[in-house]
Amino acid sequence: MKIFTNVLFILLSLRVCGQDATEIIRKADEKMQGKSNRAEMTMTIQRPDWQREIKIKSWAKGQELSLILITAPARDKGAAFLKRDKELWNWQPRIDRVIKLPPSMMMQSWMGSDFTNDDLVKQSSIVTDYHHQLLGDTLIDHYDCYKIVLIPKDDAPVVWGKIDAYITKEDLLQKLIKYYDEDGYLINTMILKDIRDIGGRVIPTRLEMIPADEEEQKTVIQYVNIAFDVDIPDQFFSLQNMKKVR
Amino acid sequence: MYLKLAWRNIWRNIWRNKRRTIITLMSIAFAVFFASVMQSMQLGTYANMISNSVRFYTGYAQIHKTGYWEERSLDNSFSLPENVEKALIASESIVTIVPRIESFSLVSFGEKAKGAMLIGIDPFKENELTSLKEKLVQGQYLTENGNSLIIGKGLAEYLNVQVGDTLALIGQGYRGMNAVGKYGVGGIIETPIAAFNDQAVYLPLAEAQYYFGMENQITNLALNVNDFTKLDKLKNEVGSQISHNDYEVMTWREMMPELVQQIELDDASGKIILYVLYVIIGFGMFGTILMMARERTYEFGILVAIGMRRRRLKLLSIAEMILLSFGGVALGMSFSFPIMTVLHYNPIYLTGEFAEVYKKFGIEPVLNFSISPVIFFDQAVIILVISLLLGIYPVLHIGRLNIVEAIRS
Repeated sequence: MKIFTNVLFILLSLRVCGQDATEIIRKADEKMQGKSNRAEMTMTIQRPDWQREIKIKSWAKGQELSLILITAPARDKGAAFLKRDKELWNWQPRIDRVIKLPPSMMMQSWMGSDFTNDDLVKQSSIVTDYHHQLLGDTLIDHYDCYKIVLIPKDDAPVVWGKIDAYITKEDLLQKLIKYYDEDGYLINTMILKDIRDIGGRVIPTRLEMIPADEEEQKTVIQYVNIAFDVDIPDQFFSLQNMKKVR
Repeated sequence: MYLKLAWRNIWRNIWRNKRRTIITLMSIAFAVFFASVMQSMQLGTYANMISNSVRFYTGYAQIHKTGYWEERSLDNSFSLPENVEKALIASESIVTIVPRIESFSLVSFGEKAKGAMLIGIDPFKENELTSLKEKLVQGQYLTENGNSLIIGKGLAEYLNVQVGDTLALIGQGYRGMNAVGKYGVGGIIETPIAAFNDQAVYLPLAEAQYYFGMENQITNLALNVNDFTKLDKLKNEVGSQISHNDYEVMTWREMMPELVQQIELDDASGKIILYVLYVIIGFGMFGTILMMARERTYEFGILVAIGMRRRRLKLLSIAEMILLSFGGVALGMSFSFPIMTVLHYNPIYLTGEFAEVYKKFGIEPVLNFSISPVIFFDQAVIILVISLLLGIYPVLHIGRLNIVEAIRS
């Protein structure tokens, strides 16, 4: 009888943990996204013998809608990416064309960086497309963190085999995310740094994406400003607006 | 006096049996005719393949950033230092240096799109090496500061574009940059190389550099040279002028080993046919020699009996054989040379299925004929060697001659 209650207790606590883990991921994701947000950022692609900077404006609303506009360098100015539901569109002003990016291109490098098209538009969601499990806690960068492992759901449109997410206990902020392939090899590591007050929230303002198999190579996204829960009408995320948004 | 006598002997001996002599001459002549026309066609076709590829694509040699040929990426491009450029231009063995950017991009018109080889060129220098301007079948050639492109005929037909239409190009540029651009079609070219017809898009160098986001950078520098037989020397010379660690110098043989191998293979199979042919000629010649030696046993016997040295007799018979051989070679060539010359200046263009097969292998469907002196020299040497080998028989025959038996025969 005692054993039975013990087992029941353990099972129950695991279940509670699972819910907790999902809740932690959801909250951490919400912190970074808000209901909607508008941001300006600078992306720096760093390579052993060169680096390149791209300036970006972005708008996002919920999981379904996002729009990204390149503002610099001059040769790419005005190029825009629109995500509506599961579709991704690219506007190239220099050729007056809207190109629909096929799902097969989701894992390709975005603008030559270490981020993929998928990272950019978050076509897959770390909240709804994965099973979450709390594995324990660690100390990262003096922050006490939860370690949560994310295993993709069977029908989820994701390519990762596993993701390890490290979330700070105090503020529920993403601190470190490790992406593994189906065979369990580490592919990318994202480090989130410079936690400070920006746009009324205390969040990491510097994202570093580091591929595992390339030396001295990374891509850094630095938030210049961000505003959360701003009012953006749905019509803003349209093909027409993508062509004229500034 | 002595020689003159020998000469008269030889001459008379040859013509004593006219029919025998004519048969021998004709069999040699036919073999020579066949072998030389075949060799002429092979050499001519190889030369055409090489010159098509070399003169139209690679140039005789190229300079790249080290590692470019292994990984042909825009990231392995370079910008040519001015002092190196000057040194190369000043070099006596180099006629022109031809800068290029080569990469791939998607070319789109209307609803259609196709992957294309995008080549940024210096219009003037490129024309000096590849005569690109002559390949134009429609429209205008590129200008240095223009922003229109020229496109291969096959690609133009696939996309259904005309001169004056505007194409959209989408690709990845230098260091992963976004490469997009709109360019008008200025001209359409037709080239002997099928791959270029179906894939090539040419842009002026500056425009290509902007498109790929790589100002002043090029991916390869093709060299047009004075004397393409001295490429290895040139390679060392150029190599000493530029830093070995940063650049690689490659000759067309290194860049197109498949072409070299294709030629070697074809050459080997051609040689086998030639060897079979020579064996047949050899037996034909041997037959007449055998006949001659047998026929003249009585004559030889008498000559030796009245005091002619056997050695002189042997020399005499060898000399007859050589004279006959050269007569045959000369006759054969007098047939083949006019034909080769006519075909050399009027190559045979293949049509129909044959042409398709050639095109599939990336070879221009044309039979070229060479009139290189090598062909004639080779024939002469080989036939001479054969006749000398066959000459051993009468020598042995004379050596073994039993005078008494010979006279009674």
